[in-house]
Amino acid sequence: MDKENWIFPYLRQYHGLFALAILLGPLTILFGGALMFTSGYLISKAATQPESILMVYVPIVGVRAFGVGRAVLSYVGRLTGHQFILKILSEMRVRLYKIIEPQALFLRSRLRTGDILGVLADDIEHLQDFYLKILFPSIVSLVIYTVIIICAGLFSIPFAILLAVFIGLLIFVGPIISYIYMKTKNEQLKRGRHQLYQQFTDMVFGISDWIFSGKHATYIQRYETQEQKLLELETKKHSFVNWRDVLNQIVLGAIVIIAIYWANEQTLRGEFSPTMIAACGLVALSLVESFLPIAGAVSETSSYQDSLKRLEAIQAESSLPWIEADGWKDSLNLSQVAIEINHLSFGYTSETPLLDGFNLKIGQGEKIAIIGRSGSGKSTLLKLIQGALVPTHGEVRINGMNAHELASAVPKLMAVLNQKPYLFNTSVMNNIRLGNPEATDEEVYEVAKMVQLHQMIIQLPKGYGTNMHETGSRFSGGERQRIALARILLQKTPIVIMDEPTVGLDPITEASLLATIFDTLKGKTIIWVTHHLMGVEKMDRILFLEKGKIIMDGSHQQLFESEERYRRLYALDRPLYNLQSGKAHAGRSPSLDTG
Amino acid sequence: MDKTLFSYKGIKPVLAGLAILTVIQGTIIIIQAYFLADAISSLFGRDLFANVFKKLAIFFLALVVRQLLTVWKRNISYYFAARTSKELRESLLQKLFQLGPRFVKEEGSGQTVTLVMEGMMKFRRYLEIILPKLMNSAIIPVMICIFIFFVNIRSAVILGLTVPILIAFMILLGLAAKIKADRQYESYQMLSNHFVDSLRGLETLKYLGLSRQHINNIIFVSERYRRATMETLRIAFLSSFALDFFTMLSIATVAVFLGMDLINGKMELRPALTILILAPEYFLPIREVGADYHATLDGKEAGKKIQEILDKESLQQKQDPIPLWKSTSTFTFSVKGISVHFADSDRPVLQDIQFSVSGSKKIGIIGASGAGKSTLIDTLSGFLTPSSGEFQINGKKLTTLSQLNWQNQITYIPQHPYIFHDTVLNNIRFYDPEATVKEVEKAAERAGLTEVIQSLPHGFETIIGEGGRSLSGGQEQRIALARAFLSNRPIIILDEPTAHLDIETEYELKETMLQLFNGKLVFFATHRLHWMLDMDQIIVLDQGKIVEIGTHEQLIRQHSTYYQLVKTQMEDL
Repeated sequence: MDKENWIFPYLRQYHGLFALAILLGPLTILFGGALMFTSGYLISKAATQPESILMVYVPIVGVRAFGVGRAVLSYVGRLTGHQFILKILSEMRVRLYKIIEPQALFLRSRLRTGDILGVLADDIEHLQDFYLKILFPSIVSLVIYTVIIICAGLFSIPFAILLAVFIGLLIFVGPIISYIYMKTKNEQLKRGRHQLYQQFTDMVFGISDWIFSGKHATYIQRYETQEQKLLELETKKHSFVNWRDVLNQIVLGAIVIIAIYWANEQTLRGEFSPTMIAACGLVALSLVESFLPIAGAVSETSSYQDSLKRLEAIQAESSLPWIEADGWKDSLNLSQVAIEINHLSFGYTSETPLLDGFNLKIGQGEKIAIIGRSGSGKSTLLKLIQGALVPTHGEVRINGMNAHELASAVPKLMAVLNQKPYLFNTSVMNNIRLGNPEATDEEVYEVAKMVQLHQMIIQLPKGYGTNMHETGSRFSGGERQRIALARILLQKTPIVIMDEPTVGLDPITEASLLATIFDTLKGKTIIWVTHHLMGVEKMDRILFLEKGKIIMDGSHQQLFESEERYRRLYALDRPLYNLQSGKAHAGRSPSLDTG
Repeated sequence: MDKTLFSYKGIKPVLAGLAILTVIQGTIIIIQAYFLADAISSLFGRDLFANVFKKLAIFFLALVVRQLLTVWKRNISYYFAARTSKELRESLLQKLFQLGPRFVKEEGSGQTVTLVMEGMMKFRRYLEIILPKLMNSAIIPVMICIFIFFVNIRSAVILGLTVPILIAFMILLGLAAKIKADRQYESYQMLSNHFVDSLRGLETLKYLGLSRQHINNIIFVSERYRRATMETLRIAFLSSFALDFFTMLSIATVAVFLGMDLINGKMELRPALTILILAPEYFLPIREVGADYHATLDGKEAGKKIQEILDKESLQQKQDPIPLWKSTSTFTFSVKGISVHFADSDRPVLQDIQFSVSGSKKIGIIGASGAGKSTLIDTLSGFLTPSSGEFQINGKKLTTLSQLNWQNQITYIPQHPYIFHDTVLNNIRFYDPEATVKEVEKAAERAGLTEVIQSLPHGFETIIGEGGRSLSGGQEQRIALARAFLSNRPIIILDEPTAHLDIETEYELKETMLQLFNGKLVFFATHRLHWMLDMDQIIVLDQGKIVEIGTHEQLIRQHSTYYQLVKTQMEDL
């Protein structure tokens, strides 16, 4: 319960607003009570038929004041509560961001889907409900409870104790029993739901298989049986709530009767005037009702615990600290950048190393393609070059400096074009300008022209001001990559890393995208991980990785001449080359005009 | 309110039952108030507590009975909601299978799951809360108002008048809030999504070297979001303020007027007190209508969305007898003048498709993106029904291939075959759950999976799929191939099965796949040209039409679309 906690630190930080919200809550309810009290008093007093209306003037004013006051207080109270919670939400977002940012490059592998990020953002919103629906009402109830007991205690201690016990049933015993009962039920429900969810997701993704298998009637039946089981659990919860509410009403009735009895006793003893009986009865009815929702709210606490747990887990897992700033940037030579990899090994503990005794030198302007199966160590190699991972043995040096020590200088040195570039929910202009926030509009137009998107963009409804997401499917896979490429051009780094940017594109789009890429990235070092051989003729070197080692290395020309295996693979990508291999030269397009 | 409510099966008896119980409940509420007032005024008149006790007991009893009636009403609507949503869910699931993978893709798999799982739950909750609420607000205030009318006309008039004033104000304020919200909806949406957007794009920001300074952005936007939200809330909360204000004012006014009448001796304490106790009860159902606002709104939305899907046109899978495909050359499958239209455009996606195949032939389907390859594959698989034309299977005429007895003969291998969250064993025998372990082992061996499976911690019993052991793209394809070897269905339809694989994996898979194709009718759509060399016939599509059919050599010689397609791909960059 120290700094890891996502709830209490904020109460301390915004104690002023919190106190105000907490003060306004009970006041609202007490005003409501006071309204009924004065009304009861007013009527009883009036029933004694006083000489003049002036005798009841104060309660008349009181009734109106409390009535209007309650409404105003409730309004101000709700606004204060939301003001408080929104301030906290702002803080939480910043905090979550600071936790996640350092591990940005590992998120995909660690959290599996990008959607978990959405879940985390939702979790923070859920905590909002925790404050508004559970924490505030609970504290408000406690305050009113205390006020009632103290007020009663001023007149009679035994009566106060009696009230304490009865109301205690409503705000302690009921909620605690509910919480315990609901907790197990909710857990069972959650498990069941999760299972069903998984099963159903499986069905939706595998829907074609279900249709071809002809078994979908069985599936629906199975699904419904499970829903039925969950429904039975929910029905149990439902009847529990029903009986709890009946018991609550019984307690409420008892308290009202006790209050009337007591007020009557006081009257008989002459301490109260008879007008107080109605007042006490009505105020009891009104105040006690405000305690009734507590049990329901508290019993749902467990539903927020998942959100809290996830947030705490992500914080506990984060091994990398948030760094405010470091002093790189200026001391770098960006015109000539050499990459040198010596005896590089990398592996997570207890597994066979992903890279093993790896050597590679890349000079400025060299173009390298890396090919390998999944698991051959390609992505690990890229992460090591980007300095996101620290080598187990050996070193990755960039202009003589250890890559993993470059930290914030890395984006100045290398840009990345990956499989799914993220396009932000802002204008096309802003999306491109992310490459260099200081770029002028003209510079943005310039790079857009280079990636051959300018014409298309100016034809959009709002041109460069068009929102990326509004464009919907108007941007195809190839065009999205072109936007990302434009960004990289603005970023002006000497090195560009490409991580399979053409997967999923059709061959014609792929070819034209690659042509644009190679055209615009002239003079830059290119490290390109690719899944097949289209475009590799343009590379200075092609590396084949297998189990963390280089198994083939050379230019297209060299490999084609010396490696049977390479020829076989090349034939797959350029089948017609194979067909007419007698005539064509390696690396040149085969002539098709002979047919 | 929501008219579709009345279309659900069996809602009329439910509403009638609820109405009767609500009328009884209204009576009980009046009794409860009356006896409480009676008890208090008797005590006020110096009666003995023992004498009054009976009245208090009736009050107490009424309180409990009233709650029991609430429970009863809740149960009625709970079971009605459960029953209705069960029926709706069943038809929704049915519908999903009819709409098939095309719908899931359009709608998004995540969306579909959320709608069925969460949307259904929200809808049920909505049904559950809306019915008693509607009844309460329609019946109880009227009953109380009529009762008060007979006791004291003026109070009844005050209470009666408050409601229209209150509703008018709520509507006005609601409109104001909506106008305000609408006006800044866009920026509001953007602000509220900014954080998620930032997190999702974090990797990109990091690459661009912007991730650290982006935190200032987050702080700035969060603050703007807070201010914008508060501004909207200030108006949105006004409507509940109005509700509170007028309710309280009305009760206060009633109290004051009652006081006047009492002073003037026009009235006695008991009826006055009864009215005062009843006044909050009069407003309670109206106030409750506004509660659970979001639950109501969400549930209503979900219900609408579900209904939209149920109303969608879909093809019911037919069960016509269709002859089992034979690999003899006399056994033919013909497509005659098929055209496919989508609802949202008048241009056909496929136009006048015509071809005929017989026996065990391998048919390649090729064309540029958007030429109609996937549509043709979906039509052959029975996921789409053509708007005109017909199919003939060995002479048997059919208008659609959405046929149980056709789909039963097909093995379908997409780009990403789906791996179920289950054991390797069950994944391979998904189509034939009765297959023995030995048969599965043999199929796995033919698909080249033996080594992979041996390296798994529990061999064939290892759980794979989402949340289980993850497989590479090539291994997933091999699972699909093993399924195909095991089920040994005579027709195989493939849609870009190797597009996303690295070239070495593709090379290794090719051999296995060609073995699988032996003696079967194969439809193979792909961009990867090397497959065309192994096809017996190639269908070339361009803008929804078949432009050429022939073998690779024939098509190359024709120097037409296929030749151009090949040429573009073979050109240097």
